[in-house]
Amino acid sequence: MSTVLVILEAKSGSPSRISLEALAAGAALATATGAQLAAAMVGPAAAMDSLGSLSAAIAIEHPLLDRYTADGYTAACAQLIARLQPDYVLFPHTYQVRDFAPRLATRLGRVLLSDVTAFSLDGNTVTFTRQLFQGKLNGHYHAAAPAPCLVSIQAGAFHAAPSAPTSIPVESFAPALEPSAIRTQPGEPFRAATQTVDLSSAPLIVSVGRGIKDEANIALVQELAQALGAELAASRPICDAGWLPMERQVGSSGQTVAPKLYLAVGISGAIQHLVGMKGSQCVVAINKDENAPIFEIADYGIVGDLFEVVPALTTAIRKAKG
Amino acid sequence: MKIIVAIKQVPERDARIRIDSSGRWIALDDIEFRMNESDAYALEEALLLKEAHGGEVIVLSAGPERVGQTIREALAKGADRGIHIASDSLASLDALGVARLMAAAIADEHADLILTGLQSDDLGLGQTGVILAELLGIPHSSLILKIEKTDSGLRLLRELEDGWFQHISLPTPALLTIQSGNTKLRYATLMGIKKAKTKELRTVDAASLGIDAQPGLLLDAVALPSRQKTTQMLPGTPAEAAAALVAKLQQEVRVL
Amino acid sequence: MAVVASSILSASPAALLAALAPSLTLAEPATFALWQRLLLLALILGSGWLFWQRFGRVVRRILAARKDADFQLFPLGRRIWDFFWEVLCQAKVIRERPLPGLAHAFVFWSFLAFALVTTNHIATGFGLGFLDPAGLFGRFYFLLAGVFALLCAVSIAGLFVRRFFVRPIWLAHKDNTISAESGIIAGLIFLLMATYLAAYWVPSGSTAALVLWWLHTLTLLSFLPLVPHTKHLHLILSPLTVFLSRGSFSRIPPLADDDDFGLVTGRDITQLTALQVYSCVECGRCTEHCPAANTGKELNPREIILGLRGYLNEYGPASEQPLLGRYNSQQAAFQCTTCGSCEFQCPVGIEHLPVIVGLRRGAVNTGEWDDDHGGKLFLALERNGNALGMAHSEREKFLAREELPAFDGSQEYCLWLGCMGGYDPKGREIIRSFVQVMRFLGTSYGVLRREKCTGDPARRLGNDLVFQQLAESNLENLAQNKVKKIISICPHCVRTIAEDWKAYGTPPEIEHHSEFLARHQARMPAAAPAASAGTTVFHDPCYLGRYRNVYDEPRSIAAASGTLVEAERSRERSFCCGAGGGLAFLGEEQGARVSETRVGQLIETGASTIAAACPFCNTMFRDALASRGDAAPQLLDIAQIAAASLPPAPASNPAGSLPNPA
Repeated sequence: MSTVLVILEAKSGSPSRISLEALAAGAALATATGAQLAAAMVGPAAAMDSLGSLSAAIAIEHPLLDRYTADGYTAACAQLIARLQPDYVLFPHTYQVRDFAPRLATRLGRVLLSDVTAFSLDGNTVTFTRQLFQGKLNGHYHAAAPAPCLVSIQAGAFHAAPSAPTSIPVESFAPALEPSAIRTQPGEPFRAATQTVDLSSAPLIVSVGRGIKDEANIALVQELAQALGAELAASRPICDAGWLPMERQVGSSGQTVAPKLYLAVGISGAIQHLVGMKGSQCVVAINKDENAPIFEIADYGIVGDLFEVVPALTTAIRKAKG
Repeated sequence: MKIIVAIKQVPERDARIRIDSSGRWIALDDIEFRMNESDAYALEEALLLKEAHGGEVIVLSAGPERVGQTIREALAKGADRGIHIASDSLASLDALGVARLMAAAIADEHADLILTGLQSDDLGLGQTGVILAELLGIPHSSLILKIEKTDSGLRLLRELEDGWFQHISLPTPALLTIQSGNTKLRYATLMGIKKAKTKELRTVDAASLGIDAQPGLLLDAVALPSRQKTTQMLPGTPAEAAAALVAKLQQEVRVL
Repeated sequence: MAVVASSILSASPAALLAALAPSLTLAEPATFALWQRLLLLALILGSGWLFWQRFGRVVRRILAARKDADFQLFPLGRRIWDFFWEVLCQAKVIRERPLPGLAHAFVFWSFLAFALVTTNHIATGFGLGFLDPAGLFGRFYFLLAGVFALLCAVSIAGLFVRRFFVRPIWLAHKDNTISAESGIIAGLIFLLMATYLAAYWVPSGSTAALVLWWLHTLTLLSFLPLVPHTKHLHLILSPLTVFLSRGSFSRIPPLADDDDFGLVTGRDITQLTALQVYSCVECGRCTEHCPAANTGKELNPREIILGLRGYLNEYGPASEQPLLGRYNSQQAAFQCTTCGSCEFQCPVGIEHLPVIVGLRRGAVNTGEWDDDHGGKLFLALERNGNALGMAHSEREKFLAREELPAFDGSQEYCLWLGCMGGYDPKGREIIRSFVQVMRFLGTSYGVLRREKCTGDPARRLGNDLVFQQLAESNLENLAQNKVKKIISICPHCVRTIAEDWKAYGTPPEIEHHSEFLARHQARMPAAAPAASAGTTVFHDPCYLGRYRNVYDEPRSIAAASGTLVEAERSRERSFCCGAGGGLAFLGEEQGARVSETRVGQLIETGASTIAAACPFCNTMFRDALASRGDAAPQLLDIAQIAAASLPPAPASNPAGSLPNPA
């Protein structure tokens, strides 16, 4: 019986959410191709106790794998694949996987199918879909080389199954690794020292424009930003007026930002502002003028008086966060 | 330090995407080509290293004749010479095939450092560099933000997920893939363009490199995603609109 | 003076009486002794030698500079006219500063009148005088010169008082001091006139006449060597400078060869630039009108020119020393909005813009200029083809939404959107309004699909590479599409296409929408009386006014929104909005914002509407007005004013409220 092997990634000792999504993708692929599902993870066996139904659960254990290195992981996974002979090897598409999986594939004489969002079965051929041109185009691929086929799964593409006890005992696998084969010396991960304001790397931004009318009203938006856990930013007129410091200005003469969420409050959307935030993944605009240009680039829009909408939103967010 | 920068020429980022008659790629007739963005950052890092420590920067690119223009641009920005792997049929290769061509083309260079961008703006595979490292048998590290030369090799700043970073040390020769946005790119100058005209650009015919062109992955078809970005207006009283937005932020944007 | 007075006092009472009533004949000494003639000769030679010591150096420096590759002497007609109007008539000097200008003109005209008088004066010393003070012509001419001498003496005294007691700030040096040399020169000129006029009060052939003659001569011979040592060098050079101008306003000369990157070192200074630099009279008109200097920036156009003069004096035109260094700063060079006030105002024909843009070219073409915003702008132009770095698809969406037809060769006009009209929400509103008007008039138009930025910001910031790429790409696109006539809402696009693109091909005819609207005004409905109840102030965009000489057309359109009032600085003296020269895309960190200053000037008129005719002015004012609260005047482009008078658009085509084609 052929095998779909999912190589999970541990995050603070247990499989990360995106790993469980990859596992769900593996389960679906195993079902579709009539294969059995195996899972492996670098780390202690105890961390793999709630992965549901599996044909094999393998904890890869070796002191040289305590800290991630591409050399170590490549060698360990290559040995595991040699032992299990799977048809498919799935990974979560994480920074770590992007770092070592192409190397692993090359060592096996294969190419990793990276960042896959979906697959479909067409006769005996599995067609995988991945995005091209930053998501503007989908590409459909199939593997022409013999097994194994290595695939990494995009975050959010599959829903992780509810956790259930692992159906079989976890085996331990100790790869043969030599210290000399590990050429890189990784340091301890750290978070960047909190700079004064670095809007460019902020994941969430609440930005305020001249619709706020008065310096005293800034507090209203500040509360919203706090509730959301977002950085506060502003358009140029606000910073020019000195209501917020210049370092919080977004736009052509200020910072260029690309957050996951950009919530524009009372910003009509002058070009100088738009060029500074057009890379945002999701734009929400609150403005009283339904013709405000900001709505042209917004994903979600609320037409209304910001002095009513913002407090309502702050309350709703606080409630949602509990 | 002898540094090779592998760059790719890609359709400009906001090119209008139309599918060609084969259904397997986009129509290229009305497309302008640019240097891949993260490759531009890789080039910038290479130039900064050269300015700080001396040495040579060689740009390497594969593709049809038009790729020469992108190599010239890199020469104009300060690279010393270029290698063009000429091929009109790169699309029939997978990332491993392209990396094999590159490995063969630079085999005699014995560079101390090879830099590439993190991933291409068109295919977005993010693999060619790492594969090249394995083919050349040298260590690599990806998502690099900063490079420092040390006595024993390099000390790197690598980006991890969720705002975490890590320092990594590794010996040279090595290959690094560079993350976009950490340095300021230099603009092309008239003086650079004029100087570039006298720099060496060696063209290597891909066929002469003797690489087996059997791809392990095949792109069968491309399709436009069905969902396009539209603005969704959330109506109702302020409280209703706020509640609707919170729901969107939880379920679709997934930031709550 | 004391000598004259004592000689008069020592004379008899009758003579004294006669002296109080001047004769109509200019007194001349009777004869000159040989020693006097020899002394005169020696003094002339000495004075001439001292003069040449300095002047010769200046001439040699100018001649040693690089030749102006693009200079053409012909056609002469324009040069002769400029010389007549600006030099002989002093038209520019008088027009821009009427009272001191007129005073200067009198000094100048009396110098002209004195050319003959002085020649005769010196000739008399050698017994070769050719004008007979008693003869008909001599009497007439000396009296005429006397009238000028009087006007000159009064004028120079007035100018002296102005400079040293009224002290306008722009006459001061960087360190706010006023050098004494102007005072000495003024004193000498006054003395020259006084010693001439006094000769009407003394008898011919008298000792007093001789004393006056010598006094006049000594003043003259001390004046001469001072001329090339001071800003009064303009006396000799500026007529030549005006005559040899580059020929058009704010002309950026082509790069001479493969090694020319703009003004990098002394080797890049051309003869014309050197001539102009030595012609500067330090009057400070350029500084007085400069938006940067007026808002606390480092840039001071006079100091840019004097900086080059300082450089030439110290290093000379063959030097490899960088020009941006001791004498001129890079920061100052990049604070210029290229509004052109300095060049427009300059009475001695200095062309500041080729110098300032030249310094920028030198810094940008060699990669010396390192500026976050500037780098981002150039990369946006390189990669996206527009100054805003927006995706081309954004423009396509706008075209689709507004149902703007593609230019296909059948339409009369190619409607040039520009970066602002294509991407800026406010600029798009202007396009929308202008399209409404064109639809109403039945004018056919189309829009180019692959239009790129004209390269204006790159051109003014000195990036020749990007500018050339954009100009060539656009020219090719226009030619392929067989465009004959372009119309644009942006004066920067108009200027760049019409003038700057000539370096790379033949651009189609282009006009600004104000010219189009004014021409078709008769066919437009009259504005509703309610719409024109208030007052409107029109802000002259630099690139429409000074650059294109269009002042009345936009005013005739703007008048529909209210009774026109004028700002204190208007028309050719208009004050920049701060956006030009690529500065809209840079950070304005030093001093007050130019846009805020200009908006303040416009608000002072009390107008309820500010009418603009440039999308860059519009966007700058929009930001500046934001801080003025709700009482701020409304801001409209003339296209919006024109569109407001139109009847409601037919239901089939209500521009601006079209259903989304998606």
